[in-house]
Amino acid sequence: MTDLTSRIEDLPGDAVHAGLIAVGAALLFLASPLFVQAPSGSLVFFEVGVLFVLYAMVLVGLNLQFGHAGLVNFGPVAFFAVGGYTAAVLTAEDPFQGVGLGLPWPVGLAAGVLAAMALGVLLGVSTLRLRDDFLAIVTLAVAEIVHGSIITFRDITGGTNGLQNVPQPVAGTTDAGGNAELVSTVLVFGAFALLFYGLFRRLSASPYGRVLRAIRADEQVTETLGKRVFRYKLVVFVYGAAVAGLAGALLVFYNGAASDTFFTIDMTVIVWVGMLIGGAGSDRGVLGGLAVIMSFQLLTRFFNDSIPFVTQDQFASIRLMLIGLLLMIIIKYRPEGIWGNADRLGVDS
Amino acid sequence: MEIPLAQEVIFGLVIGSYIALGAVGFTLVYGLVNMINFAHGEFITIGAFAGYLAVVVAGLPLPVGILVALVATAVVGWGIARITFEPMNETGAVPLLMMSIGLGFVLRNGMRVIAGPSSRRVRLDVATYRFDDLGFFVTSQQLLIIGLALAAVVVMHLFLSRTMLGIAMRATSDNEDLALVSGIDTRRIRNAVWLAASGLAGVAGVMLALSQGANPTTGFGQLLLIITAAILGGAGSPYGAVVGAYLLGIGITVSVEFLPSGLTELNATMAFVVLIVVLLIRPGGIVNTEVRTS
Repeated sequence: MTDLTSRIEDLPGDAVHAGLIAVGAALLFLASPLFVQAPSGSLVFFEVGVLFVLYAMVLVGLNLQFGHAGLVNFGPVAFFAVGGYTAAVLTAEDPFQGVGLGLPWPVGLAAGVLAAMALGVLLGVSTLRLRDDFLAIVTLAVAEIVHGSIITFRDITGGTNGLQNVPQPVAGTTDAGGNAELVSTVLVFGAFALLFYGLFRRLSASPYGRVLRAIRADEQVTETLGKRVFRYKLVVFVYGAAVAGLAGALLVFYNGAASDTFFTIDMTVIVWVGMLIGGAGSDRGVLGGLAVIMSFQLLTRFFNDSIPFVTQDQFASIRLMLIGLLLMIIIKYRPEGIWGNADRLGVDS
Repeated sequence: MEIPLAQEVIFGLVIGSYIALGAVGFTLVYGLVNMINFAHGEFITIGAFAGYLAVVVAGLPLPVGILVALVATAVVGWGIARITFEPMNETGAVPLLMMSIGLGFVLRNGMRVIAGPSSRRVRLDVATYRFDDLGFFVTSQQLLIIGLALAAVVVMHLFLSRTMLGIAMRATSDNEDLALVSGIDTRRIRNAVWLAASGLAGVAGVMLALSQGANPTTGFGQLLLIITAAILGGAGSPYGAVVGAYLLGIGITVSVEFLPSGLTELNATMAFVVLIVVLLIRPGGIVNTEVRTS
């Protein structure tokens, strides 16, 4: 395992450069009249692929927060949702119910990120000085509250109807059909995910990342070394919030609609389970873990038809049960995950 | 329609009652096992279903049904805690918390697989007492819920202040190491805490089955208010949790009157505001427990 771990960690190349090139190439591809159509039958893979790259963006932020700095943020979906709904409210045109201001999409994207950051500052200032587990309570509670508020304030958010007619900037660049827009979306979002992965990886590999790991190991010692622990924690928290908000806004622009069903606690649990399977603190490992858990979801999707006497609702519940069980098993038997480093995480396996 | 203040206070007392029972259990576990139990809402749901099975399916009278739910939930909750939380008691707060989130997922969705998402109501004959001069009414069911909660609080107080086990519990909550060297078996204390916390959750579950119906998310839906009440009261303090629960319950219903119509389903958002304000101004809550790390 250690051999594999070191090989994974030592792959050549720099993800920031690769990410920049990929973003440039993806944007060029969008501007060009070229298109790639998805083969029929592969549709579901591309749909899950879009979600994967968006969750991956949330996860790189979360991994910086928990894996490196030890901040237990159990509400990434709150920032994801705030980013998404801010973008949707600002850009939707004449939704069925709720507010749609019809502004251009870049405004919505920027506002989504800023709104998520603002929520991050508010939560960070109020809870980051308290015991570790208070942050977990507050973030999880806030995620539930954001979800509840989306349904309650239906005059603004459209409630359970959601907000429709949100612009789809990526899909709008091609009208080739055959799900070409889905392929373009995966390429563009994937390129951005790679870029953020690279940026956060540089951050965690730099002296800055060493301070974060020192905070994780012992706050008081770090404070006595002259590091402003609270400020570091707050900044890391807001970084994670910003990238989650961006991912949320991108999700809305991909769907062309915002719906509360995309922003439930299930998303938090999937991202967390992915991070824990892969090994918190291992930048590549967590993405591997996310891939494992999302392929598990994708594969079990096909099983539903082949199992008799189980309704769709029951099947969905069973799947969530299994994910919960998986979380419990990892916590108990392998807290450092598959690619994680037990010493660095400070856990006993 | 104008609802008089007295009526809102009664509604608030009812909400406060089941939050109080949930919050006392939550805060006892927090203080003694040193963990935040996100599966506590699921214990309440187990109580709600146990009450439904006892009263509606088995046809037992309500007092027996409440007792059955109390005992069943206490034993089930304790058993679950023995299997899941007790073996990893030494790992610290955060792994225990994640464990409880996983457990909550398993229990909530497990109950959904068996019972389906629909709600089952425990229906009783309800007598309504009207006080038209004073402009409010109260039902026998509301009186029952408030009375049950008060009885539970009194029993809890007597237990914590008069029995050896209760005193040992408070000692462990204050300082586990000191309790251990003075000969208190902290393992036994933890067992007692799980039994008590789950039992109270069971009673709260029956109350919810009476007033709102039992479904797989009955308890989870209350978890947020329970956590807020516990923090408002001072995490780890059962007395604070009771005060926090009633303040929150009455606060929610009374504030509805001052809010524009259409925003009446603000319970969740209200809880958020209370939570953030408490953490900013007085994170130790009403009784001011120590929650800062440094």
